[in-house]
Amino acid sequence: MTFFEEQLEKGVFQICHCENCNNTIWPPKEICHICYDKTSWKESRNRGKILEFSKKESTYFGLIEIDEGIRVLGDISTKSTPKIGQSVRMNVSFNSKPNYSFIVENN
Amino acid sequence: MNKVAIVGTGQTKFSKDNHDVEKLLFESASSCIQSVNNSDSNNIEGVLVSTNNNSKYLGAILSETMGIRPKISHSIENLCSSGTNAIISAYAYISSGLSDLVLVSGVESSTNPGQVLEWDKSRGSLEHPIYWGSMLTKSHKRKFNTTEEELAIVSAKNHKQAMDNPLAYSNEPRTISEVMNSKQITDDLRILDCSRSCSGSSSVLLASEEKAKTYSDQPIWITGIGQKTTSASFTKNILDEIESTRIAANSAYKMAKIESKNIDVVEVHDAFSVCELMALSELGITSNEKSGEFVRNLFNTENRMVNPRGGLIGAGHPLGATGISQTIEIINQLQGKSDKRQISNPETGLIHNMSAAGTSSSIMVLKN
Repeated sequence: MTFFEEQLEKGVFQICHCENCNNTIWPPKEICHICYDKTSWKESRNRGKILEFSKKESTYFGLIEIDEGIRVLGDISTKSTPKIGQSVRMNVSFNSKPNYSFIVENN
Repeated sequence: MNKVAIVGTGQTKFSKDNHDVEKLLFESASSCIQSVNNSDSNNIEGVLVSTNNNSKYLGAILSETMGIRPKISHSIENLCSSGTNAIISAYAYISSGLSDLVLVSGVESSTNPGQVLEWDKSRGSLEHPIYWGSMLTKSHKRKFNTTEEELAIVSAKNHKQAMDNPLAYSNEPRTISEVMNSKQITDDLRILDCSRSCSGSSSVLLASEEKAKTYSDQPIWITGIGQKTTSASFTKNILDEIESTRIAANSAYKMAKIESKNIDVVEVHDAFSVCELMALSELGITSNEKSGEFVRNLFNTENRMVNPRGGLIGAGHPLGATGISQTIEIINQLQGKSDKRQISNPETGLIHNMSAAGTSSSIMVLKN
């Protein structure tokens, strides 16, 4: 398992960052593809916004952009129909593959 | 660069049966070699196999199976656009002078591993293509007011056109109403909006200008090529665009010295219904806003200029063979050999093949 995956397993989404060129690196890797300096990690604030959504059976899912500028797909928990631009909180886990899920805030 | 022609074609039927890939390859390659005037396979200098199958060194295996000892032999994989990537590689071998005659064979079994892209961490556990297909569809509806009926017309049209394609996976007619009432996969996708993974193989033989007339009385010339890869991760896409298609199309038009209005017949990569609408817009044939109306008009007037063999939705999608079968349809159309599917006197045709949620696109322009 990679460091990123180990951290997901602990419920932490680590953002891969290059201090030298001040860029977020996604997907994460040890060496920056712009300046080839070693990258570092910082924990995500786990907040994002809904860019698009749909629903499979009774579960909403969608494309979310988290505050650090990374976009991922995941399930959305909400009491009512999601809205574009709505703020969400992210939970992560890892079970042979990453899992991202989102809870609509101020629901 | 030397001119390059396609001089022979061969295909198997597409089906859900799980045939072994070596058998399918032999079937389409044999049929391709038998389609040319001079079927002495000793002259073949290159054998390229496009596939997502995990079998090893299929280029060499097909060569031996066909009794060919080529200079060049290898596999080519780029998910759903492997087929056109292989044809374009063969073009490069010939136009550069490294080879005069190259066989390109694509193949897939119905249980191919090409659907799930483990590397793309941004998809999380929502790996299946239906998730990105739903995002593109919902976004198209939202931004361009595309209706569910307009999306269903893409599928109804392609199923109808596939009825006249004896090699298609589906030969069942599907009405607009049947599509709209078919099994709901997500809020934005019905089962009949989706192309289906299946088994099948298709082959083409490419020749240099010097050799082309030896093999065919009606060589079809590759006059334009454009390719673009923007990323490997779906989530780096802008949802209402297929940027890679737009860039690749512009390169192909420039090389062929044509504009979109010159295209008489086109095969577009309708992985999902919405992809046909988006591709037609990125190719400059219509706009996203008018794409639903454009396809409705094709359907109502029985105009087969878009996906005459039934597209991926009607004909099936054996990943490594898809781009080659799209190319064969345009060849047949330009040769006037498409039987019931034939459109009237086409001179210029285009193939649009893409992979990984549109992050890569390959375009070819063919002329007779």
